Amino acid sequence: MNAAIFAVVILLPILAGALIPLLPFRNRTWMMVYTEAVVLLTSGLVFLTLLNRPEEAFVLFRFTGNLSISFRLDGLGTVFAGLVSVLWPLASLYAFEYMKHEGHEKIFFMFYTITYGVTLGIALSEDIVTMYCFYEMLTLVTLPLIMHTLTREAVLASRTYLYYSLGGAAFAFIGMIFILSYGSTSNFVPGGVLSAAVLGDKRSWVPLIFLLCFWGFSVKAALFPFSSWLPQAGVAPTPVTALLHAVAVVKAGAFTTMRITYYSFGTEFLKGTWAQYVLMAVIVFTIVYGCSRALKETHLKRRLAWSTVSNLSYILFGVILMTPLGLVGALSHMIFHAVIKICSFFCAGAVIYKTGRNYVHELNGFGRRMPVVFGIFTISSLALMGVPGLCGFISKWNLVRAAVASENPLAYAGVAALLISALLTAIYMLSISVRAFFPGRNFDMSTIQDVEDPNWMMLLPLVLFVILMFYFGLHSGPVVGALESITAVL
Amino acid sequence: MSGLMLLPVFLPILAGSGILVSSVTAKQKKAPDLTEEARNKLHLFSAAVLVVSAVLAIVLAWSGDLSLTLFYLMKDIPVFFHIDGIGRVFVTVISVVWTAICIYSFVYMKHEGGECRFFGLYLVVYGVLVALTFSGNLVTMYLFYELMTLTSMPLVLHNGSREAIMAALKYLFYSMCGAYLGLFGIFFLYRYCSSLTFTPGGTLDPVLASGHEGILLIAIFAMLLGFGVKAGMLPLHAWLPTAHPVAPSPASAALSGIIVKCGVLAIIRSVYYIVGPDFIRGTWVQTTWMVLALMTVFLGSMLAFREPVLKKRLAYSTVSQISYILFGLSALSQTAMTGALLHVVFHAFIKSTLFLVAGIVIFQTGRTKVEELRGLGKEMPKTLWCYTFASLALIGIPPASGFVSKWYLAQGALEAEIGIFSWLGPVVLLVSALLTAGYLFPVTMHGFFPGKSGAQNVWKKQEPPYRMLLPVAFLALMAVLLGVFPNPLIQYFGQIAASVL
Repeated sequence: MNAAIFAVVILLPILAGALIPLLPFRNRTWMMVYTEAVVLLTSGLVFLTLLNRPEEAFVLFRFTGNLSISFRLDGLGTVFAGLVSVLWPLASLYAFEYMKHEGHEKIFFMFYTITYGVTLGIALSEDIVTMYCFYEMLTLVTLPLIMHTLTREAVLASRTYLYYSLGGAAFAFIGMIFILSYGSTSNFVPGGVLSAAVLGDKRSWVPLIFLLCFWGFSVKAALFPFSSWLPQAGVAPTPVTALLHAVAVVKAGAFTTMRITYYSFGTEFLKGTWAQYVLMAVIVFTIVYGCSRALKETHLKRRLAWSTVSNLSYILFGVILMTPLGLVGALSHMIFHAVIKICSFFCAGAVIYKTGRNYVHELNGFGRRMPVVFGIFTISSLALMGVPGLCGFISKWNLVRAAVASENPLAYAGVAALLISALLTAIYMLSISVRAFFPGRNFDMSTIQDVEDPNWMMLLPLVLFVILMFYFGLHSGPVVGALESITAVL
Repeated sequence: MSGLMLLPVFLPILAGSGILVSSVTAKQKKAPDLTEEARNKLHLFSAAVLVVSAVLAIVLAWSGDLSLTLFYLMKDIPVFFHIDGIGRVFVTVISVVWTAICIYSFVYMKHEGGECRFFGLYLVVYGVLVALTFSGNLVTMYLFYELMTLTSMPLVLHNGSREAIMAALKYLFYSMCGAYLGLFGIFFLYRYCSSLTFTPGGTLDPVLASGHEGILLIAIFAMLLGFGVKAGMLPLHAWLPTAHPVAPSPASAALSGIIVKCGVLAIIRSVYYIVGPDFIRGTWVQTTWMVLALMTVFLGSMLAFREPVLKKRLAYSTVSQISYILFGLSALSQTAMTGALLHVVFHAFIKSTLFLVAGIVIFQTGRTKVEELRGLGKEMPKTLWCYTFASLALIGIPPASGFVSKWYLAQGALEAEIGIFSWLGPVVLLVSALLTAGYLFPVTMHGFFPGKSGAQNVWKKQEPPYRMLLPVAFLALMAVLLGVFPNPLIQYFGQIAASVL
């Protein structure tokens, strides 16, 4: 298969998405069909690409010298691209139903579809320059999605998001320049591109630059102290919070940190340095911090967003362990958390869509009226807590296996943090389920007569996610085996 | 043959889920409350499923060391069932007591309502418990341990009052906390043990573990604390006196008689079958464990002594009594472990009897406080006799059963090389036995001898129906008889103890 397919899968959704406001759709249904067709086509092409695995790189264009926009497919990219392309069509399906009540659908679906292409761009980047460009683009194309409702709150949230992301990218830029100056190439090479000979006496700079770069890229993964944009961005319509703020955007942040740690700087120069310890300490702190904020939060979507903050740091924790096992843990949590969190967000969205209730204390008795949604919500809570049999346990197990194997005392603290976080997760998630299913003896069910399960367009993705959670939880061998073979090259 | 092991696990789980689902759909159709006919069908169905599964579980358990690998959860970690001595003992006790409580609750639950939900969950929990006792490795055990918490939680909040819901949440979160502490240990044991399959004497790899003793001991201590939550050991015991009393009485009996023992089972499995007792012998972990267990024994009895509400008093008593078992386990000696296992069995029968009696009193009269029970012996003498026999057994008056287990516990402590605990342990056990007499006997005394209280009291007979009384009498009888003929048990438990120590 020709490597030009990379450019096709990235540009197709970007261009086709940009056309949405221009095309004269007869009605809403036609727009839906068009959008879903584009998304499905892209996903189909991505699957084809992943199966055929073109070896060579594709250069879209050169800026100058060795600076170019170029794409290549490797193991890490496969995971991210595969994950995104599975979830996007499902999320779009859900969005069609959901966005009925939000309005401005053409603009929304334009940016929603463009974002797909940009995210694939990050997954398929061959070098750090390309990745950086798409990373910046991702900020810009997702901004209007957060601003969607144009309320004061939404505008403020999008402003915070913009400042944080651009600021983070600025720090990441420092790292990029360093790699361009001292790396043997700007491409991603397993094990890194720095060499002691070229670095010379600049070697002592590596930890500092890495620290800045990692922290910069992980702003999108909501690492402390730059985590507050994520819960604020919860004002966006639910398909955005679910897909972008639980999967695409934030996982892009985590993905970029994997790239720079294992493929640009290389763990050889970083393992055991102060930079690793500082970042690990911050990440371990974020794991607990995110959960404690989730516990305090009474707004349902914001609570889930804080939980995402914590879970993203699980992934970063795996990354910063700087062992192949750690990367296996990080990648598995990237996949499994995506499935779990998108599912719980969709449940929250279903509640908001059907009833307009936003706060946890308004959900008393809802489980009796929306048994399917809350049943699925409970299952996703259990998965998030890491109950064995569901996928959350597998990724936690992999992360901890790596942490224990690293024999690093700070990593042991990380293990403890993961478990504290699991307990807090149990508290902030299950208290919702208990409230919903057991409103108490004196609860008057007639106050929630209007509450009911949504239609199939919203339920179908939920059911599929539950199946995935059980599948990965009970039969994780193939997936984890594949991840292990990906990281074996490191 | 070994495939049959799945039957007593999944039959009750599926049947129970079936009942739950049908009750949910019935509710959506706004069907009226259970008719008498439907109730009889429900009872017959639950009883049939439970009896079939229980008989099957016991028969399978005693027909040899079966094992079965179900599937691989992860690459090197299967969901693996294996029946061995410990599992055999636990599954037998659980099945017998569970069935007896079930028969009792057919009558009792009439006045609580929500019977479909109750019996559905009751069956599901039974399946989970059987799976827990059949578990052959640590991860499988952990899986069913978590499921046990999740499925038994709704039993606590059954009556739907605010108090019950808060108690259920407390139970849930304490148990989760415990489970995660346990998981912390499992993570480290996975790294430093040659396998997570239960092996008498442990699988800890001395070569791998050398140099990491410090963190391993911390991990093991975390497991003890964590699984100790279910067993009501200090410092995480507080859920137990909150959750057990608010549950409907059959559920309290099941929780106090059986579910707390699963914490004990988890501790036995991790200490004696994975870590190996020699690794913690003489370390700070053993010392702290003994201190915590003895403190719990004493504090539990003290708190029970000054507690006016009967069910709460019994719950505190459970806190205290389970730590007898834990103390026996912590001594790491054969005799003490035999005593601990004996106490597991005896306490299951005794405490479920006591809770069921408390339930009968609530069912017939609505009284909950001890001081309101004056003259109970005139109203329901047979019930109070059951209570009295069980009390005698719990205090440890020969020949009732508690005496035998306590004898072995004390002797084991004296034999073991555990420094000052050799005599401190038995002393605390004795003091606690006195307190036990102090908090249990007043009910019997004032029940049978109410004294003359001014106005001439007219006691009206209100003995409960036989379907309620018989299971209680059976359990009470077992509590006494097992003490009269303890030899087969002692021998069998001695063998188990010898195999792991």
